[in-house]
Amino acid sequence: MKTIPPTDTTPNTGRYYWRGLEQLAETPEFKQFLEREFPENAGDFSDPVSRRHFVKIMSASFAFAGIGLGATGCRRPEDKLMPFGKAPEKYVHGTAQSYATAMLRRGGAIPLVAKSYEGRPIKLEGNPLFPDGNGGSDRFVQAAILDLYDPDRAMRFKKSGTAVSASEAFDFLSGVANKFAANQGAGLAFLGERTSSASRRRLHQEIARKLPQAKWYLYDAIDADIHTRAATKAFGRSVKPIFRCDVADTILSLDCDFIGEEEDAANNIRRFTSRRKIETPKDQMNRLYAVESLFTLTGMNADHRLRVSSSAVLQVAAAIAAELGVNVGTLASSGGASLDQKWISECAKDLRASGGKALVVAGFRQPLAVHLLVAAINEKLGAIGKTVELIEAPEPISADLAQLAASLNKGEVDTLVIVDANPVYNAPADLNWTATQRKAKTVIRLGYYEDETGAAADWHFPKAHFLESWNDGRTSDGTLVPVQPLIAPLFDGLTDLEFLARVAGLSEINPYKIVQATFAAVTGDRSEAGWNRFLHDGFARGTGARKASVSWSSGSLREALAAATSAPASKDNLEVVLFRDLKLDDGRNANNGWLQELPDPITKLVWDNAILVSRKTARELGVQNNDVVEISVGDKKVIGPIWTQPGMADYTLGIALGYGRTKTGRVGIGTGFDAYPLFNTKTGYVVTGAKVAKLAGKKYPLSCTQTHWSMEGRSIVREANLEQFKSHPDFATRMNAPVPPNPDPNDPHWPKPIYPNPLDNPKYRSSMHQWGMAIDLNSCVGCGTCVVACQAENNIPIVGKDLVARGREMHWMRIDRYYSADPKKRTWGLSTKTETFKRDEEQQFDEWIDDVQAVNQPMLCQHCEAAPCESVCPVNATVHDHEGLNVMVYNRCVGTRYCSNNCPYKVRRYNYLDYNKRPLKELKGPFYTPPFLHSTDGEWDLKRWWRDHESGMRTQDEWDLIKMLKNPDVTVRMRGVMEKCTFCVQRIESAKIAQKVKAGESGDVVVPDGTIKTACEQACPAGAIVFGNVADPESRVSKLKAQQRNYSVLDFLETKPRTTYLARVRNPNPAMPDYTEAPFTFEEFAKNNGDPFAHHGGDQTGKAESTTGKGGH
Amino acid sequence: MSEVATQIKVPPVPAGLEREPLVNNNRSFGWISDRVSLITEGKTPKWWWAAFVPSIILLGLLGAMLFYQINTGVGVWGNHHPTMWGWDIINFVWWIGIGHAGTLISAILFLLRQRWRTAVNRAAEAMTIFAVMCAGIYPAMHVGRVWFDWWLFPIPTYQGLWPQFRSPLMWDVFAVSTYFTVSLLFWYVGLIPDLAMMRDRAKTKIKQFFYGLFALGWTGSNRHWSNYEKAYLILAGLSTPLVLSVHSIVSLDFAVSQLPGWHTTIFPPYFVAGAVFSGFGMVLTLLIPLRSMCHLEDIITMRHIDVMCKVTLATGCIVSYAYIMEFIIAWYSGSAMEKFHFMNRALGPMWWGWVMMMGCNMVVPQLFWFKKIRRNLVVVFILSIFVNIGMWFERFVIVVVGLYREFLPSSWDYYKPTWVDICTYLGTFGLFFTLFLLFMRFLPMIAVSEVKGVTPQADPHHPAAGGNGGHH
Repeated sequence: MKTIPPTDTTPNTGRYYWRGLEQLAETPEFKQFLEREFPENAGDFSDPVSRRHFVKIMSASFAFAGIGLGATGCRRPEDKLMPFGKAPEKYVHGTAQSYATAMLRRGGAIPLVAKSYEGRPIKLEGNPLFPDGNGGSDRFVQAAILDLYDPDRAMRFKKSGTAVSASEAFDFLSGVANKFAANQGAGLAFLGERTSSASRRRLHQEIARKLPQAKWYLYDAIDADIHTRAATKAFGRSVKPIFRCDVADTILSLDCDFIGEEEDAANNIRRFTSRRKIETPKDQMNRLYAVESLFTLTGMNADHRLRVSSSAVLQVAAAIAAELGVNVGTLASSGGASLDQKWISECAKDLRASGGKALVVAGFRQPLAVHLLVAAINEKLGAIGKTVELIEAPEPISADLAQLAASLNKGEVDTLVIVDANPVYNAPADLNWTATQRKAKTVIRLGYYEDETGAAADWHFPKAHFLESWNDGRTSDGTLVPVQPLIAPLFDGLTDLEFLARVAGLSEINPYKIVQATFAAVTGDRSEAGWNRFLHDGFARGTGARKASVSWSSGSLREALAAATSAPASKDNLEVVLFRDLKLDDGRNANNGWLQELPDPITKLVWDNAILVSRKTARELGVQNNDVVEISVGDKKVIGPIWTQPGMADYTLGIALGYGRTKTGRVGIGTGFDAYPLFNTKTGYVVTGAKVAKLAGKKYPLSCTQTHWSMEGRSIVREANLEQFKSHPDFATRMNAPVPPNPDPNDPHWPKPIYPNPLDNPKYRSSMHQWGMAIDLNSCVGCGTCVVACQAENNIPIVGKDLVARGREMHWMRIDRYYSADPKKRTWGLSTKTETFKRDEEQQFDEWIDDVQAVNQPMLCQHCEAAPCESVCPVNATVHDHEGLNVMVYNRCVGTRYCSNNCPYKVRRYNYLDYNKRPLKELKGPFYTPPFLHSTDGEWDLKRWWRDHESGMRTQDEWDLIKMLKNPDVTVRMRGVMEKCTFCVQRIESAKIAQKVKAGESGDVVVPDGTIKTACEQACPAGAIVFGNVADPESRVSKLKAQQRNYSVLDFLETKPRTTYLARVRNPNPAMPDYTEAPFTFEEFAKNNGDPFAHHGGDQTGKAESTTGKGGH
Repeated sequence: MSEVATQIKVPPVPAGLEREPLVNNNRSFGWISDRVSLITEGKTPKWWWAAFVPSIILLGLLGAMLFYQINTGVGVWGNHHPTMWGWDIINFVWWIGIGHAGTLISAILFLLRQRWRTAVNRAAEAMTIFAVMCAGIYPAMHVGRVWFDWWLFPIPTYQGLWPQFRSPLMWDVFAVSTYFTVSLLFWYVGLIPDLAMMRDRAKTKIKQFFYGLFALGWTGSNRHWSNYEKAYLILAGLSTPLVLSVHSIVSLDFAVSQLPGWHTTIFPPYFVAGAVFSGFGMVLTLLIPLRSMCHLEDIITMRHIDVMCKVTLATGCIVSYAYIMEFIIAWYSGSAMEKFHFMNRALGPMWWGWVMMMGCNMVVPQLFWFKKIRRNLVVVFILSIFVNIGMWFERFVIVVVGLYREFLPSSWDYYKPTWVDICTYLGTFGLFFTLFLLFMRFLPMIAVSEVKGVTPQADPHHPAAGGNGGHH
């Protein structure tokens, strides 16, 4: 029995957000925990109650190691920190722990592993054990951890806008429950968002049993459910299609950004790119056709792209269907001459030629008719069951928002309970939601933020983050996965399960028990071992949805086609395409600074949305970038800035939803403009008949991380067509710069780098580990997940919009995106009056941007062996280690910035200001106005500063909260210090230490291949990034580097980068009208440097060999 | 002694070949002393105050800007990614370049027996010292963590950490600090005889004390003169290589890197020529108004102006040669990046910087071929300002244009300075002019003893010297 320190008698004045822990600390279980030498069942987790409490206690005590023993807790700064007298079993202080959990999304849950330090979750990764996955994830997963520690999240129970105590709020809920228990729920309506939670569904059914009169409604501004609805209609049973891009040889996307905007994009990326990882010229790869209005990630990665307005996609679909022999009635001929008939027929031919291995997909913003046409095409191609898997989907049990509006208008709703959904912000404009919602007598809301809907509600309850709550979910293929908490709710938040159970007055309100009961119900496994395995693995084997055997019926199609009308957009009939933002989703991530500052994968804009238009549209409208225009459709108006986007369809105005929030946290306020006023139930996401009026003289500054679009014929991203790859497998090295003649034939180190290569000396190459990375440009789709993953792993701060405009963004890793066009259409090169030498702002007027190809390249520190940065640092702050890493000594850096000037890859980032401590208001402006000229809120800035130096700064409480997010293995850099990618040296070192411990006497200290994954590599859904030991010829990275597509960027500088790229290969169809023998970047290169295939490659090959020979593998 | 001396008959110089005298109007020693001393001893002129007050305000601005920058971070400047160096390094190199004329005039021209230097060397050396002070602010303050500047010095610490001697920034530290120290010493040594004169003329105790203190007990004895001349010669010898080395080393900041437009072997001589060019430009800018304000027309004569214009023309031609040669080498190298860089200089979005540089440094100095222009003070003054502007743009073209568009087009970005950049630069003018105005008010602006030495009557054979040749 250990000695229990006396109870702290100081008044209980801890920070309010630790109340949850305080209460926890008073529970008998916790007191017992303190008294026992070992916590009850801490080792084997056999008892569910103590397991749950163990997790809670982990959170409570490990995070704030002293507070548990103080027994009042929650007063970290004042309390004496005491060590564990006896540590819980298997707990090693300072070592991260991982728990399986999941993130619920409208398309299905994403199985995750959360990494936790001292009870603080700090990083999320995909669950590598999950069979239908590769451990990759997406942007939203990577950024979700930031929301957990968001000081702006809802943290109070509020009644009519004033905070009330938790007990008062719970009393109110029991009052509601009692009231409706009496009348079977008449007048009670629930509004939620689409979720895959199995417990939620079970609870829903239980509530329906208890309160049969209560109504359920679902609303999602992004309606990804249309795929299921269309399949259900086409196949006559409730089925959900799964697109097997990994099976498909030929894919046609009809306005479907299946690797970007669509749900389940991470899985689609993994499946799609699995067919593009070719090793030898003999390998086959898939081919992607894209028909779209916006330039999307799918279009960027397509082999052929047809740009048409979204309203014309129906005609394209009909034309293709007609080519394939589907009876589409009169629709087939309605497109007329405006469509590229050859493109369509050749595409259809190619689809047919693929046998059953063709796949056609339609985007969620397309009307039902297109989806039904696609089902018919897939049926005709024999793709159903092969590339389109139909799985059983549960019958929908809720009605939609329009029906709720009707019900509200009729006065049938007494109490409206809103879970998560934010209809006041994102409901279709024609429902006039703010007024409609008020027709309910009482509106109760559970929300993560006190947002627009929260402010309009009578009661607001704070919702727990998913890392704070018990729940479960189903992945896109229906597998049951647990959502486990890693930390006790920081601000007393409720899970939606508990909240709903309380509202309905159910007997079981403990979400843990609800989830456990669901697990038992779904799997039929009531054993502890089964439950524990479920939690340990993070999924329940064999719970995936069954494949449905269904048959297609043509009736639905005929019906839909009869109703379908379509008119392509034109100058007089402008079309607005509202799209899901790749960062903010429907607006829910508006307060997430990482996502706000993540460059949009296409436009590279940050912190804003814009009205995307093609060059031709902009010219005809008489507008240019940053001009503010007013778009009106009927009586609805939206005001926003213009941004010319290459590759956009003419007469289409693309606007991302999710911006212009009026009530959210302080980060998200004031970014972009709200496009929901144009969104309505009738026209959906594609709104035609828009009018555009330029607001004279008004400009809005947009921040973009990449201002130059063209690669200018340089061999930075190297690509070739599959045919070229077959005839010249060494095309990538042929694009190396010519080597100057060797003055000394006996010199093996020719050509010589300017800077010495310490690793030429065998003494320095002695380490068993030589780290290197290979990035496959053929599988990188440019989604940006790695950028956020790097930010989360390495404590990278955000800098705000005005500083991005200044080029001060801090991302260690960026995705360079280059547009290329047929060089014949460009006036460029080194002669006078070429586009090359224009200001970047003038690119928007160039004609070549109409039909572009795009390439992506993740760019991070290349870890050059002969590093230019190292020899120019006056204080030795950046040096080489014996494992080939270019390491940065933050403590030693004085910040002369010479290293960055001399870095040819420009991958070094400099802390120009103390980004970790910047005032919030500086995230969005003012744009470098001198404080003696500028005033805020009518007060002179200098005076404001004089009055209050701390104005706009976060409070200490908030800093403390944000600090919990930081990865303790990575230094938080101060201002004036240069920083850059370290190849996640913290992961390397911990793996090396672990291996040394494991090796013990055996001396086998070489870390096995694949043990170390850099954050970017781990997050990449495509598996495009591979890191490892290049000294081991059997490692994955060595094998990739041995491929013929391997090359280094800026090879001619002889910096010998350890990061190399595998050149891209396109797979165009020679029969297509837009076929070119070589990709545009290749032609641009050939025009500047001569055809790399023209000269015989004796010395070229020799050069290639010598380069690879010294490249370190 | 006069018995020993043999009378040599010097034939009169033919009329056309007669040299213009270095001091006009046959002024006497006494007149020279009086005239120069008048600037420090007379009543403070109104124009001095008119110049001094704005200077001190600008100096205050410099202090405020540096306080703001050190307090907040380098982010208050316009430097960004990829242009990590902006006005900070431009202005550093610009001021250092200006600081070249003084030592060149006093050391190299001394060794080359260019007697005309005497009229301008004192002011030019002062200008050098103050310009180097302005320059020094930038490398010291532009780093991210100013409080660790001392890490750039080879100070042995318990950690055994040394600066990296391969870095040109390290060489800069040595080059600039050595140059400043030697220039200061040289200037001070040259001042000693004149300080003694000031001491002897001083009417107040305080002046007597301070001038006396710094005159180091100078009596003008032969032994003093002998030691003085030796010291001066040694210092001139020491300074001469420094004049060449400091800007060569500053140029290595760029040449040692591998950027197109920076990695160039032509840089060291080209930078030295450019520095002399800009230094003479600044000397002209300063002395043309000063000679009329202080009524020194007889000491700083049109001949001086003319000679300095010729030096400016010569160095301007060297610089122009370098500008053209850079293009030729870029073409000859066959390097696509080099070619692109130079085309981008001339045609890219910052073409105006290149046009300013070529216009001011290559075209404008060509006007100095004309004697009429060299002898027109107003025109020379205006042209000298053009030279200063042109040399600023030369550094702008090298630093900013070299960085804003280089290897990866994804990183290309336009550079704009902020108001803090501009105010800091203006502030360095405050520092420069404050110090210069104080200098001319409290120290003899002309090297009186040396000017006397180049007057005809200082020649022992000159009739005005009293015929007692040998008194030297």
